[in-house]
Amino acid sequence: MDKHKFIQQRQPHWKQFEEFLMSIRRESFTKLPAEEISKYSQLLREVSNDLATIRSRGWGHDLTSYLNDLVARGHNLFYGAPPANLAGVFHYLAVGFPRLFRANIGYFLTACLLFFLPLGISWYVVQNNPSLATRIIPEEMMANFDLMYGEESPLNNEEEKTTDRTDEKDSFLSEESTFGDQRASMAGFYINHNVGIALQCFALGILLGVGTIYTLLFNGIFLGAVSGYIVSQGNGERFLSFVISHGSFELTAIAVAGGAGLILGDALIHPGQRTRFQSLQVRGLEAVQIAGGAAVMLVVAALIEAFWSPSGISNLVKYVVGSGLWIIVFIYLGFAGRQADITPLPVKKRERSKSSEVGFNRGPHS
Amino acid sequence: MISTITSDETVPTSANFPQQNFTAQREVLSLEMKIETPENVVLTYQLAGPAQRYIAYMIDLAIRLAILFGAMMVINMIGIVLPGTAIGIFLVIMFLNTWGYYTISEGFFKGQSIGKHICGLRVIRDGGYPITFWPALLRNLARSADAIIFYGIGITSMLLTRRFQRLGDLVAGTVVIQERSLKLPRKPVILKKIQPLNKNDIGSFVPRDEVLSLIDEFMGRRHVLTYERGHALAGILAKSLAERLKYSGDSQKVEQYPMAFLASVYQTFSLSNHQEEDEFTVSNQSRIRNREVSLG
Repeated sequence: MDKHKFIQQRQPHWKQFEEFLMSIRRESFTKLPAEEISKYSQLLREVSNDLATIRSRGWGHDLTSYLNDLVARGHNLFYGAPPANLAGVFHYLAVGFPRLFRANIGYFLTACLLFFLPLGISWYVVQNNPSLATRIIPEEMMANFDLMYGEESPLNNEEEKTTDRTDEKDSFLSEESTFGDQRASMAGFYINHNVGIALQCFALGILLGVGTIYTLLFNGIFLGAVSGYIVSQGNGERFLSFVISHGSFELTAIAVAGGAGLILGDALIHPGQRTRFQSLQVRGLEAVQIAGGAAVMLVVAALIEAFWSPSGISNLVKYVVGSGLWIIVFIYLGFAGRQADITPLPVKKRERSKSSEVGFNRGPHS
Repeated sequence: MISTITSDETVPTSANFPQQNFTAQREVLSLEMKIETPENVVLTYQLAGPAQRYIAYMIDLAIRLAILFGAMMVINMIGIVLPGTAIGIFLVIMFLNTWGYYTISEGFFKGQSIGKHICGLRVIRDGGYPITFWPALLRNLARSADAIIFYGIGITSMLLTRRFQRLGDLVAGTVVIQERSLKLPRKPVILKKIQPLNKNDIGSFVPRDEVLSLIDEFMGRRHVLTYERGHALAGILAKSLAERLKYSGDSQKVEQYPMAFLASVYQTFSLSNHQEEDEFTVSNQSRIRNREVSLG
């Protein structure tokens, strides 16, 4: 067939497809009626065919690149992933993330070893020998810790303060409101700071895992030294009651993010049957979903740390709630999403499990 | 730059230059990425180089700073009433700005941040598919590894990989491409005043379609070259074509007016094709018309 004739015949179709591609940006593709979609998918195949024809006959660079771009855009549209929705987010948090976590639990345990072991050692050493703390913690920071957890600290919820407050109801109220206000700023700080560190800890795993290991070791030693120092100054009670609630989410999440970073490093070092890049891509997609879960956990931890941990509730309640949170984290990571199968459950089983489906966590044998 | 070279210098050298070397060179320097679609068609994408991506990055950086600055103004207003909350919100915005700007824009707006949109760049999966949330998150978290020593690691990785991928691209399996705007091709040049070659002057050789469309495109674009340069370039093809055709007509035409010669070659063969397959196209046209009816 002749080039002129061919172009003359096909151009209306190309134009039609082009207009469709332009218009589809505004409205959602999924809302199109079925006939429209099949019509345009046929058009896409026709244009693909035209492209192949023109290529094989060598009918010019301009024409080829025009059709190439047309097909590429169509390809992009038709083979795109379905849009994300809220149900997907919930499924990820309730099923996807804990499952992926358990599938890669070895990395998490390694990260725990890299994080909690130096934490414990430096805690033990510094608590018995507080003068060593100066080697790790800057001076101003130490003064800050003394202020935070000392007798005068806002965490001090002993009798004297509450009696002060009850004198004047107005001042009590205003104090409460500024307390909440200040806490909000701390929440922002924790989100920005802690989640940032965890995400960086994960991302640096791409440097053969070295960055992750460094971050884990450094933070473990530093946190251990801080804890040991504060406890050695006799402020242990206030510190532990402050830390126990959010520690469940925070410390675990750091190890989870570290484990995800180790996956990246391991994918590069031990690619197995794949090439190194392939292995990095396949494992990386798993790793980032684990790291995303860690980020969500850290946001939860930041909210607890900001609003619950420093509140003036008696230490006993804090310990109870804190240990409850540790159990929740354990159950969530250990058992959430165990029953949710990809294949539909048999009817009877599904009915039974429906009651537990509402809850966030599911027991192993319920 | 090329057009300033005079014809005296270029004609002899370029005419003797072996044709094959041009194609070999083009392969090595290619910025194109090939992908096979489910329709069994090979698509090519033009990859974006480090320089273009740098410009896009600078635009994005300016926008991110502007966002922070704007947020600061608003936060200052809130800060009059609730100073603590204002700082908290500002810190969250800062967090989203550092870790979320690219992820959100690339994950939800088809692989384009604002800077990339302005520069006509787009992030896609290396299978040609649009990027989704998790790869977008992955490639932008890895940015913090790429950004070490002022993006030294990222740039090194880009220069070492064939598809200009930084570490984030490698781990997420993405590439950055340069989007071309959809542009309807020009109509093939129709040469009314040019006479086709005399059939008695030429042998039985029929040039391939590629050669004819090359002539077509050359004619369409000759105004971007100076007369001398266009003349010199046309001379290369005209000379070898005349040889293959065993052209026995006016040899002065090939030497002095190579462009006119090419035009008449084009006229000769594209027209003859035209008439031979006339019946075929008519039947084809009616078939297409039928299909249109069934479509809608």
